[in-house]
Amino acid sequence: MAVGYGRRVVLPDVNLSLRRGSFTGLLGANGSGKSTILKAVLGIIPPLGGQIVLHPVAGKPPVMGYMPQRESLDPIYPLSSFEVVLMGVCGRVKPGFRIGRGEKDWAHQCLRETGAEQLSRKLFSELSGGQKQRVLMARALATKPDILLLDEPTAGIDAVATKAIMELLEKIHEAQRQTIVMVSHDLTTVREHAKGVIWLHEGRVLHGAVSELLTLDKIEELLDLELR
Amino acid sequence: METLGHILSPDFLLRNSVYISLLVGLVCPLVGVYLVLRRLIFMGVALPQISSCGIAFTFALQAWGVLAHFHGSEHGLAFFGSTLFTIPTIILLSLLVRRGQGLVEGRLGTVYVLAGAWSVLLLITNPSGEHGLLDMLKGEIVAISDADLGWTAATFCSVILLIFVFRKEFLLASFDREMAVTLKKNVVFWDALLFLLVGVTISMAVLSVGPLVAFGFLLIPALTAHLFAANMRQFTILASLLGGATSFVGFCIAYRYDLPVGPTDVALLGVVYGLAFLVKKIVGLSRGTGQTKLS
Repeated sequence: MAVGYGRRVVLPDVNLSLRRGSFTGLLGANGSGKSTILKAVLGIIPPLGGQIVLHPVAGKPPVMGYMPQRESLDPIYPLSSFEVVLMGVCGRVKPGFRIGRGEKDWAHQCLRETGAEQLSRKLFSELSGGQKQRVLMARALATKPDILLLDEPTAGIDAVATKAIMELLEKIHEAQRQTIVMVSHDLTTVREHAKGVIWLHEGRVLHGAVSELLTLDKIEELLDLELR
Repeated sequence: METLGHILSPDFLLRNSVYISLLVGLVCPLVGVYLVLRRLIFMGVALPQISSCGIAFTFALQAWGVLAHFHGSEHGLAFFGSTLFTIPTIILLSLLVRRGQGLVEGRLGTVYVLAGAWSVLLLITNPSGEHGLLDMLKGEIVAISDADLGWTAATFCSVILLIFVFRKEFLLASFDREMAVTLKKNVVFWDALLFLLVGVTISMAVLSVGPLVAFGFLLIPALTAHLFAANMRQFTILASLLGGATSFVGFCIAYRYDLPVGPTDVALLGVVYGLAFLVKKIVGLSRGTGQTKLS
């Protein structure tokens, strides 16, 4: 497929397949098209050419759990963290219907899973970067996703919070065999935690296992650097 | 107390004006919170002016003989003109705001000025409508018939009902449009419905209390409530109650001191906002934060 915005093609030739239960890092420099691919997969922007085929899960289209970049959410909204997580269940509640007790309990459970239960009554806009990421991850989990798509989950947060977020993701991946696609420009984070990698480099899309693509030799070759 | 006794008396001559004032005070903040949250405050200034222009336009059409005169149909005609201008404008402006093309504030300012100028030009072509329209622009809430009150109440109750029933859809489409798309929500539909409700509310409010008062109730209660709200439910309820309470107290003050109701309401809203801001500052300082969320 080709992806981009309006008439502007960002990546003209993308041909990828993702296996169920995989943990893939979507790697690339700023402006390489990482978020554009993610948005196309999510259906937020239509592909400019070609198509995206999503195989049904239990006879239904797969549910996408999306975690956007936290800066994309306007801090003017006086939303408690619980209200933010509750948005994740909206896909299962018909328009005009109340969110039932069961769904609210599920939202609380998702906050517990991400270690953010004590934040539920706090204003989302007043949380730290790492706390916001936990709440947004809880929201993505609240959708009961078949695929979890995360846009820069560790961008702009400190090393301790990054480690905690990545360990949480690994735990979710291993415990639930959750399919995860994580956009990142942090090569080290992807190499340490993901199993597969999609690397967008100078208009090319490289796809393979972390053990093949993120070796020092390969990185040196691709980036034209001397790391040793 | 004597004033309050008069106003609450069942045979109070201006009781319809009290009801209208209360309705505007309660309902405008409910849609105003979305204008504030979507950062469309300037649109809240321009739209009541556009609404007035629409009203002036339909009355001018009547004066020019394009529309026939029907006795007692003025309210419906004005509502038609107001809505006809307001809803297309809100849709167009919100599209431009969303696309972020050009100078958004410049466009809204231009719309405001042009609508104001055209209202005056249309007004002077229609001497018979001049007096009533000027009263409306000044925010005089005096002559409200039972039929007008019923029509306004029915419209506002529908707005309240729809805002309440579809609050999670409006909130999701406003706060995180991309997330809404991934959850298969039709964001274009929810945006359109929300803007329709905003447009209808503004049209009805301008028709009842004039553009100045309508804008005051759209904006100031929401800004005041935003200082203290810890979640969306508190935000909307507090904004609406503040609007309702201020409109009632404002009416009492205006009646007691023989002042125009609309400007009194808006001035009182300003005082409440100022006091709330100070309280927030003092509470913030005593807690060592000194922060206000929106100023």
